[in-house]
Amino acid sequence: MSDIKYLKTIGFNSNQPIGRGFNYPYDIDFSSDGRIFLINRMGGLNSRGVRIQVFTYEEEWLEEFGTGPGTENENFVTPVCLSFDGQNRVFITDEYLNERKIFDSKGTFLERWGQNDSPRSFQGPAGIGHSSDDSVFVVEQYKGCVTKLSPSGEFLSSWGREGAKPGEFNLPWGLTLDKDDNVFVADWRNDRIQKFSCDGDFIDSYGISGTKPGEFHRPSSVAVDSKGMIYVADWGNERVQILTPDGEFHQLLRGEATLSNWAEEWLEVNPDEYDLRKESELLVENLPEHLQTPYHTSSQTEPIFWGPVSVKIDTDDKLFVTEHSRHRIQVYSRS
Amino acid sequence: MTNFLLLNIADIGYKSTVGLKLTTQVIGFRRLFKMVWQMEQNHRELIAHLSRRAGFGATSSELDFYASLSYEDAVEEFLSSKVANSIPDDLIFRRHVDLHTMQGHNAAYWAYRLISTDAPLKEKIALFWHGIFATAELKLNNLGSLNNQVEMFSRCGLGKFDDLLEELSMDPAMLVWLDNHDNHKDSINENYGREILELFSMGVGNYTEEDIKECAKAFTGWTVKNGEYMSTMGFKDSIWPYGRIQWHYEFREEDHDDGEKTFLGEKGRFDGRDIIEIIAKQDATARFISRHIYNYFVADEVPVPQWSETDPRDPKAIDFIAESYHKNNHSIKAILRDVFNSDFFKNSAFLRVKSPVELVIGTLRKTGEYQTPVGGETGIFTVMEESGFMGQKLLDPPSVEGWHTGEEWISSGSLVERVNFVTSHLGDDTHPGVKEMISKLNSITDKDSDPNSFVEACIDALGLNKIGEDTRIELVNVAREARENRNGEAKAGKIPQEVIIHMFKLIGSCKEYQLC
Repeated sequence: MSDIKYLKTIGFNSNQPIGRGFNYPYDIDFSSDGRIFLINRMGGLNSRGVRIQVFTYEEEWLEEFGTGPGTENENFVTPVCLSFDGQNRVFITDEYLNERKIFDSKGTFLERWGQNDSPRSFQGPAGIGHSSDDSVFVVEQYKGCVTKLSPSGEFLSSWGREGAKPGEFNLPWGLTLDKDDNVFVADWRNDRIQKFSCDGDFIDSYGISGTKPGEFHRPSSVAVDSKGMIYVADWGNERVQILTPDGEFHQLLRGEATLSNWAEEWLEVNPDEYDLRKESELLVENLPEHLQTPYHTSSQTEPIFWGPVSVKIDTDDKLFVTEHSRHRIQVYSRS
Repeated sequence: MTNFLLLNIADIGYKSTVGLKLTTQVIGFRRLFKMVWQMEQNHRELIAHLSRRAGFGATSSELDFYASLSYEDAVEEFLSSKVANSIPDDLIFRRHVDLHTMQGHNAAYWAYRLISTDAPLKEKIALFWHGIFATAELKLNNLGSLNNQVEMFSRCGLGKFDDLLEELSMDPAMLVWLDNHDNHKDSINENYGREILELFSMGVGNYTEEDIKECAKAFTGWTVKNGEYMSTMGFKDSIWPYGRIQWHYEFREEDHDDGEKTFLGEKGRFDGRDIIEIIAKQDATARFISRHIYNYFVADEVPVPQWSETDPRDPKAIDFIAESYHKNNHSIKAILRDVFNSDFFKNSAFLRVKSPVELVIGTLRKTGEYQTPVGGETGIFTVMEESGFMGQKLLDPPSVEGWHTGEEWISSGSLVERVNFVTSHLGDDTHPGVKEMISKLNSITDKDSDPNSFVEACIDALGLNKIGEDTRIELVNVAREARENRNGEAKAGKIPQEVIIHMFKLIGSCKEYQLC
């Protein structure tokens, strides 16, 4: 299996509550026509711009919806993950509202499941995915389980509990399904990826705590391509790791962002910063000793990943790495 | 009987039996018991005082622990260099993604550490140096680099003063704050050279203008990586294109003046490190740092700008601390050990006005709030804003002079803010710490407890342990009145919760709670 290569960077930072530009992007997914839907999470006391942004791979900004924060049907407080089902509906989890909201691909609100006051509320819903029959799989981080629902939201089954044994979870986060409907869960605080059948039977576990290849520190997201290669957002180590279908370490990505179209356009109208930037060395190799941690290295070195929170694979098997702390997406491909 | 009493004394934590050679022949059991009880109370009061100064005040259960040690051992516990435990970064960052980048303008990240650390002196000393080496986010617009500075204060703040000054002189936030990235070999900027002498070490009147220039020359080339671009982004508060980039130190040899300099009477090809060594050995430095230590850990002094014309509040104490500075090779930890074990420290209870941060953090540590970050909850940001309304916005001191302390913390507006903050938090029985205090009170008092004992127990629960007689009389009157008005409400034998909460709020409003 050949290594994947960097292609391009999408997006730039904007703390505005409207328009293009990201502020703490958290997750993306693709509609059936290839548009990219992105959770713009915002944070702290500045949450006016929490919303979903829609744009293309070529960086054509299209629209936005769900601008919050709020508890109304169309709004979010702390959205976490999103996923399209086979009917081109996008499901978005909100870990504060403890529910999932469903929109069509035009951003029109359809329904919400599991509100706090409903009989079946969710305890910190995070990762979400769909099987080939459109069953819905949701991580409930605070309960330490994965819950399976029918396409119309009826409870089907649930597995897992808090713990560190196989099949148990410690604040799990991201979730994905492969083409065979196996379920992969980023078991965040257990520093591993767990694989299950779509009925919840434990199949395998990949990774242990650490910083070496094949080891993880707080993995937040997992994706699987058409060849079964496994991509892990190794969030706490500020990197992405690629595993073979058997879970063996294959490749490590540290990020190599370049200027996106939006970034380039902004810098062109701010020549003072652009000129100084051209004279600067933003890929730093020799940091003082006390800053030689993944976090500090990423915070000081612009091109590499900082907060790689989500990995997603599109229909062409391109890898999209969303970085919440650099407010952009880096794209990779095998071809 | 003697053995029995000594055993009891050991049980309550007196490792030192202070020469107790008492026997029942010499002294009656009841009298001896009372003496032991009083010693225990005195010990607990002293420990509570230490915990307010070396930390942010102890909860009742923390006080139980510290009071089980001898006073000297309790001092060592605070000075211990153990690895501090606080809320893990991964949990903070997962719940508050904006704190991962520190892109906002709020000290919430540091607040989590202040509230949850089990090594409070490490944070207290960081707060101390933050007030002296005052660096403000307002100019930098790079909160991440400023938080790195705070982390450096915590890491180096109890070490040798020379080392701390060296770290400070290489600290990116300081370098940009005082324009040392604009201090060039062929065009010096003396801002840092001036302040390191005036505000960070020796104080006005102990050096000349020529010393300032020579000092500035020695620090040429001490800058930050990509300094021009980074400072421009900071100046413009630019987050484009990909968010803020945190800063790190860089030495540019080609921009460093390595020529001969004359500084404070010494001559040589000094660089910044040589300058620091010369500064640190000056008696003026010893006395200046001593006065800061006295002001922060012992008793309020007048603001720093008045020091050159106003004698210290306790000149002998300053002599003692300055001597300790020299004797201990400038080790801040060793100086604090001497200070905490001194009589002038032990007799200094309530001689300081709590700073807003001490008040807010101390209260939140008691109420047990924000021990678990919750996504979407912004309370931690709000409380740090409230500290700002009281006059101390953390990471944003008003100028390079830092905050004026002592009585200047109190104005009619800030006092209302302070009292409202304390009573609203201590008066909320949904907070885990408040619940715990109520539970403990219920276990040691009941509806038949006399008002005096009830008030004593409430004061102890809040870690105050000593209160003025006039205040105590008022509190006891309130407690008595509450008992008389209950009319059988407390049939279960417990003091009604609202009475306890009311007493907490009253104690939180009293003068002693505002002092430390």
